[in-house]
Amino acid sequence: MSKTILAVDDSSSLRQMVAFSLKAAGYQVIEAVDGRDGLDKAKNQTVDLVLTDQNMPRMDGLALIKALREIQSYQRVPILMLTTESSDEMKAQGRAAGANGWLVKPFDPQRLIEVVKKVIG
Amino acid sequence: MANNKILAPQLKDLLSGVSNHGNQHLLEVEVDLLQTTALLGEAIDKLVTSFVSIHKAVNIQQEALDLLLSGKHPSEEEIKRLKNIHLEIGRHVNAVITNMQFQDMTTQLIDRTVKRVVGLREVLASLGNTGAKMLPESGGEEIILFLNEINSALTAQSSELEGAVRKVVSQNKMDSGDIELF
Repeated sequence: MSKTILAVDDSSSLRQMVAFSLKAAGYQVIEAVDGRDGLDKAKNQTVDLVLTDQNMPRMDGLALIKALREIQSYQRVPILMLTTESSDEMKAQGRAAGANGWLVKPFDPQRLIEVVKKVIG
Repeated sequence: MANNKILAPQLKDLLSGVSNHGNQHLLEVEVDLLQTTALLGEAIDKLVTSFVSIHKAVNIQQEALDLLLSGKHPSEEEIKRLKNIHLEIGRHVNAVITNMQFQDMTTQLIDRTVKRVVGLREVLASLGNTGAKMLPESGGEEIILFLNEINSALTAQSSELEGAVRKVVSQNKMDSGDIELF
């Protein structure tokens, strides 16, 4: 059974690129338009990996990660940040919130698939 | 007389404050727009290159299909070339996906520019509103108080605006970003 990834980003084109890349590698992808939508979808169905942007309306990536880590079933689910931000300060905040990795945009599809395979197989 | 000695510096502060804050914000606007232009330019160049390459590769595949349909068999060299074309198309598609992300990045830059311009407009409107409270018969002391109020509001609003437009896109190139697993 293929693994499921929750892709959270307020950019529709970015979500399409992520979904296209990951589906081509055999993963199922659920899309969410912001942190709040991501949290709602994560509660409805436990996924194998969460890939989230940082700067989104309603709920940003850091807030989403913190909220997910408070849910029992999401305490061990890998969460990767996919964002334009690259400062050490933001990465430290991401790590402290519970992120397992940090990917800086723009992403290369091949490298994205490699890191996802490394994290969830 | 004493009031004139206070009035002139206050007025000078206001004028230089408006100039400095305005300059600072407009410089940031210029930087963001130049960055947007650079990202757009590079993305479009790379997308055009990828499009042309994919088009060529697809034509080669079609030639091979036409050959097969005509009943002829491709040579070993042609077979090898066809196998490589598939990988080549994959590489170009990956490049397209990377460069299509310019839309996300430039949107964030433009949003920041718009916020800054709107913020500046609000600061100037605020200056005008405060100035409108001054009555024609206002004396020197009242004018000094108004100028003091305007100067404080200008500094506060300008700082608030700077805090609201944090720079989140530092990329000047469309090269794929770093990956770090914690």
